[in-house]
Amino acid sequence: MSPMLIIAKREFRSYFDSPIAYIVICLSFFALGLMFFFLNGGFWQLDRASVARLFESAPMGLSFLVVPVVTMRLLAEERRSGTLEMLITLPVKDSDVVLGKYLGALGLVLILVVSTLAYPIIMFKWPWNLGPLDAGPVASGYLGMILFSAAAVAVGLLISALTESQAVAFFITFFVLGALWLFGDLASKAGGTLAIFLNYVSFQSRLNNFWRGLVDSRDVVFFLSVTALSLMVAFRALERRKWA
Amino acid sequence: MIQVEDLTKDYGTVVAVRGVSFSVGKGEIVGFLGPNGAGKSTTLRVLAGFLGATSGHVRIAGHDIAKAPLAARRALGYMPESAPLYPEMRVSEYLMFRARLKEVPRTERLRAIGGAMDRAGVSHMAGTVIAHLSKGYRQRVALADALVSNPPLLILDEPTAGLDPNQIRDVRALVKDLGSDRTVLLSTHILSEVEATCERAIVIDRGRLVAEGTIEELRARQRSTGLELRVRDPHAAAEAALTAVFGVSVRSGVTEETAPDRRRLRLGLDAALDADTVTEAVVQALTAAGIGIHALVPEQASLEQVFSALTRHEPSAAPEQSAETA
Repeated sequence: MSPMLIIAKREFRSYFDSPIAYIVICLSFFALGLMFFFLNGGFWQLDRASVARLFESAPMGLSFLVVPVVTMRLLAEERRSGTLEMLITLPVKDSDVVLGKYLGALGLVLILVVSTLAYPIIMFKWPWNLGPLDAGPVASGYLGMILFSAAAVAVGLLISALTESQAVAFFITFFVLGALWLFGDLASKAGGTLAIFLNYVSFQSRLNNFWRGLVDSRDVVFFLSVTALSLMVAFRALERRKWA
Repeated sequence: MIQVEDLTKDYGTVVAVRGVSFSVGKGEIVGFLGPNGAGKSTTLRVLAGFLGATSGHVRIAGHDIAKAPLAARRALGYMPESAPLYPEMRVSEYLMFRARLKEVPRTERLRAIGGAMDRAGVSHMAGTVIAHLSKGYRQRVALADALVSNPPLLILDEPTAGLDPNQIRDVRALVKDLGSDRTVLLSTHILSEVEATCERAIVIDRGRLVAEGTIEELRARQRSTGLELRVRDPHAAAEAALTAVFGVSVRSGVTEETAPDRRRLRLGLDAALDADTVTEAVVQALTAAGIGIHALVPEQASLEQVFSALTRHEPSAAPEQSAETA
């Protein structure tokens, strides 16, 4: 196994060795259920065979809570406790450490994302069949959610690489991801160039197309670019110790 | 095994290590000695590849750590100061994780982990969650981790810090044992540790190397400043004879209770004079007075005194701070 995967595996397992994974998964499902069925009238009022509500509420929960909680400790905690020193002094490249931690955290988030498949399956396949569900938008919605998760976790990792405090990492990640989400709502109220800019950087606006069943290569490239850029900056932040 | 040339490391405006050069040969156990904040941990962190040097070169087992960091790290087992471990993992699990990353071949992993746990004395704790271990055991797990890939070089940063006296003795014995077939560089601010385990010591203070040598060489740096005498002196004339000798002061004279003609004398020697010359004059004066000398022992400077002499500095003479990050 490559060093990157060994680190990713340990990171992933450590979520389940502590209560964090169980708490995050349970509470996320509880919150998602509430949002899906009750928020703004909920699923029933929509009166359509669609799980678009799922795609609207799940990334919001990920942005505001799950991703900040999952990523806050990634590097901040290792740096504070000194285990980062143990990791870096192994015959392992810094990039393996960053990517390993990234994949470990992304793994947990993706488990959450994939588990939400329960909604379309249970409601529209078996045991209930509430109507003819269009598979296209569901597939593209999931693709969008996976790309979104990849980018959000990378942003969280980057912020965790910049501080020693988990609380600071949580709050800044919450703020940044929250802002990137709400820019979409803000754009509809603003006008002109500002609206274009806000729509351009907003995760929410970018995801909108996916919910409608539209996979635009510009959106795909946007999420992938955010991911790559964040990971690169996190890598540099980790390397900074060598010069500073 | 280790060659350090003109190593300097600064943290922004604070210079932690400046122009330090030393080398450690194969099979040596070397103590890296200095008061708190002297730059010991910083130097070791540079050697281990955690920090980059501001200037200077470091070679580990022949590999330049800037050019071939992975090859250099493969050759060494490093134990940082506070022995940081993942609290949620079990001991054997943790060592397995480390052994994988240290590229211990799959077929040898279990044996390597077992052997390392045996040597560090944590075999009976293999299944325990690290969070439940005492400080002493955590330290040993970190030591087992340093050993797991059987590296030819061990760098241990304060391996006995925070341990109780029994544990300290165990760790020292282990280090000595390990030193029989590999190179060990250990840092400490405790002198007796160096005396007990090391063949050679490197002393740094405020980021500079102030002394280097075997324990005997370091001791010899401090000149003997006293003499202890046992004489046959039936008329108690020794003190009078000695006051005539230039550069000698009698600190104490005690008559032995069992033998009234035997006396023990302690003499102070003037530090400005050559101790050998004064000793000779003492012997001549006593012989001339008809006093028999049974024993004459120069007071050996303890390493303690050498250390404080080397690292003593006036408070005003410290305009530049030295730093050791915790």
